[in-house]
Amino acid sequence: MFPIFVKIFSLVLAAIAISKSYVDFRARTESLQMFLLWTLTWAAVVIVALFPTIVDFILAYSGSGQAGLGTVFGMGLVFLLFVVYRIYVKLERVEQNLTKTIQELALKGNWLEKR
Amino acid sequence: MSRPTQPVERTVAVIMPAHNEASVISGVISHIPSTIDGMAVIPIVVDDGSDDGTGDAARDSGALVVRHLTNLGVGAATITGCRAAEELRADIIVTMDADGQHDPGEISSLVRCLVEGPFDAVIGSRILAPHGMPLSRFGANLLLNAITFAVYGKVVSDSQSGFKAVSREALGRMKLNASGYEICSEFIGEIHRNGLRYKSLPVKAVYSRYSQRKGQHFLNGVNLILGMLMRLVRRV
Repeated sequence: MFPIFVKIFSLVLAAIAISKSYVDFRARTESLQMFLLWTLTWAAVVIVALFPTIVDFILAYSGSGQAGLGTVFGMGLVFLLFVVYRIYVKLERVEQNLTKTIQELALKGNWLEKR
Repeated sequence: MSRPTQPVERTVAVIMPAHNEASVISGVISHIPSTIDGMAVIPIVVDDGSDDGTGDAARDSGALVVRHLTNLGVGAATITGCRAAEELRADIIVTMDADGQHDPGEISSLVRCLVEGPFDAVIGSRILAPHGMPLSRFGANLLLNAITFAVYGKVVSDSQSGFKAVSREALGRMKLNASGYEICSEFIGEIHRNGLRYKSLPVKAVYSRYSQRKGQHFLNGVNLILGMLMRLVRRV
């Protein structure tokens, strides 16, 4: 059984994430597809947090009954590490592109005459 | 102060990456010599997204100013300055801090050492003249020297010095791309990778309250170490 604070923690995080996603969607900085994806993802997190036995049910239904909750969370952790790695790589690439763009802009034009 | 914009025979470009240094930049520029042994000295300030008028103050003091639209970090600003110096076809490129930590009067020593050496690069070393250096900084510099050695395979007395002189040919062989403070260690790594001749020259550092506030902090140090370690990981 999940302790109550884990449930509250998950609910609060989900509320923040979904509301943030909704604000971005309203501000047209996020597409409808991304908004729905994040909403469904966090809804799934809340459902698992509130009803953890659902994982056992899904595992039993899919024929992986012996895997257990620990295995699922272990796989989840590995998946999250992979996501963090991918975000790091992409962030690095974006930062490098931004740096190059700003450097090119800085050296373009008549900086020699601007005295 | 009138300075030549077009290179006349041999020139020295002094690059100063600056972020919100409006209160001190004019004083630093005014102490840069206009010639060194017949070579024209051109100060280039890279205004790294300042919002306090650093660029205008530098321009009013006679420096060429290249401006980043947003703050990229001291490494990126230094690289932009190096590219500006290459466009000017400067023969010698000097980098120094804009916060007054380095004595502009010592630019001549670095340049002469480079020319007379002959060396490809001269590194101003605060460790070789540590008078007045806070003990914490001394220790931190030694630690960063060790990490620089671990990542780049080269030991120098002051791997984190921002006060350096390098010839145009040597700079052309370097591949610098660090955005932050790790640019100093990357510079050492490029000296090693290209087999360049270098010398560490003692320079005094001015540890005023202002320069200590503007200089590297603990978190910058952590970022610097993480940045270097990530480079090490990427190379493996």
